[in-house]
Amino acid sequence: MNHLSDRHLLLHLEGELPPHEKKLAQEHLEACWKCRARARELETAIADFIGAHQTTEAPPAAGPRALLKARLSQLPPPSSSFFRTRLGLPLAAAACCLVLLGLVLVRTAIRPDDTTPLVSTPNARLTPGAALLESRQDVCAQSSTNNKIVPVALQKKVFEEYGIARAQPHAYEVDYLVTPALGGADDIHNLWPHSYSATVWNAQVKDALEDRMREMVCGGSLDLTEAQREIATNWIAAYKKYFHTDQPLATGQPAQQ
Amino acid sequence: MRSPLSDSAALPNLRSVASDLDHPRQRLEQEVVELFDEFRLPLLRYLSSFGLPLADGEEVLQEVFLSLFQHLQRGKSRENLRGWLFRVAHNLALKRRYRTGRDLEQGTATLAIDPAPNPEDQMLTNQVRQRALQVAKALPEQDRRCLFLRAEGLRYREIAGILDMSLGAVSLSLTRSLARIARSTER
Repeated sequence: MNHLSDRHLLLHLEGELPPHEKKLAQEHLEACWKCRARARELETAIADFIGAHQTTEAPPAAGPRALLKARLSQLPPPSSSFFRTRLGLPLAAAACCLVLLGLVLVRTAIRPDDTTPLVSTPNARLTPGAALLESRQDVCAQSSTNNKIVPVALQKKVFEEYGIARAQPHAYEVDYLVTPALGGADDIHNLWPHSYSATVWNAQVKDALEDRMREMVCGGSLDLTEAQREIATNWIAAYKKYFHTDQPLATGQPAQQ
Repeated sequence: MRSPLSDSAALPNLRSVASDLDHPRQRLEQEVVELFDEFRLPLLRYLSSFGLPLADGEEVLQEVFLSLFQHLQRGKSRENLRGWLFRVAHNLALKRRYRTGRDLEQGTATLAIDPAPNPEDQMLTNQVRQRALQVAKALPEQDRRCLFLRAEGLRYREIAGILDMSLGAVSLSLTRSLARIARSTER
């Protein structure tokens, strides 16, 4: 009598044999004490191993779970899934070409000798904005509203992320999207290279918005969280809303009432 | 003064401003945390087959579940998430071990045997199980991983996918391992 190999026995025990082989194995086992005994030995080995393996003492989960939650909340949002669809890709490619063409035309017409890319709004994927869990009182108690200087190494990293590693540092302010004066965090997800002069919506214009929003938050006419959300979502729209204008005002000019 | 860092993990009290608005995102975060609760222990047990200390295993798990969040956030396949988790954990553990250049260490520190009611039975059971574990830990790496994945309930096809082996090779590996364990635990 040809006995079943260990491999066949195990495959049979595991339910991994194809139907016709399963039937043959079953018939053989019914007739063969030796193979039945061997099958029991293999099952006992499984039971012994699983008994030891799965009695692992679970280390406390609270700490790792809390850490995971914190990290999840810091992940930036993904870029739009539209651009990954079959329809979206060709459209996105066409749109990119148009944008590139537009940029070339604008730069040729306005600043023919300038090679500085125009950056007036952050990339939402790279810079979604990040804020500290601070109350309005904490934020308004800060004596200085000046942004902290971003270290050169971190500035370099921001330039690299934005694909402008060789940019002239004086052409940009590596700016906080949510300013620390409104509870913004010292975090790369809250930093982006903001052109000083390449567009009308430049860093000085945003500085004016930040000052205004802080005044409103500390004066009680604007909720801190709402201010953070508005400035992180679209600072230009926030500027238009709070300065009641479609174009940036000259520095120092009061908002229309 | 807070140090300005690029690593957001150093600022545990950060929150994403964008997420304040995003309820689907919060639901997804909750789902990932629930999956973390469900699969943390099985994955930690599997990671112990790489000789990773518990702290490293926990760190790998964080990366696994952050990747899972991004995977689901991008609307990618939800089919067989268990297999996906083990596969990603496997790849990240290999990467981590390669990076740290750590030699195999056995994860015995976290293992404890359930007490049996009868002290004599308990002692015998513990001895047999310890022998089974020792044999498992002395197996070649690939055999050990096959065995640990099977012990976590993965089917042969899933194991083959995770370890990039053929079904036949999985079957041979498990047969070899169980035959060794059976020899070592003969009563």
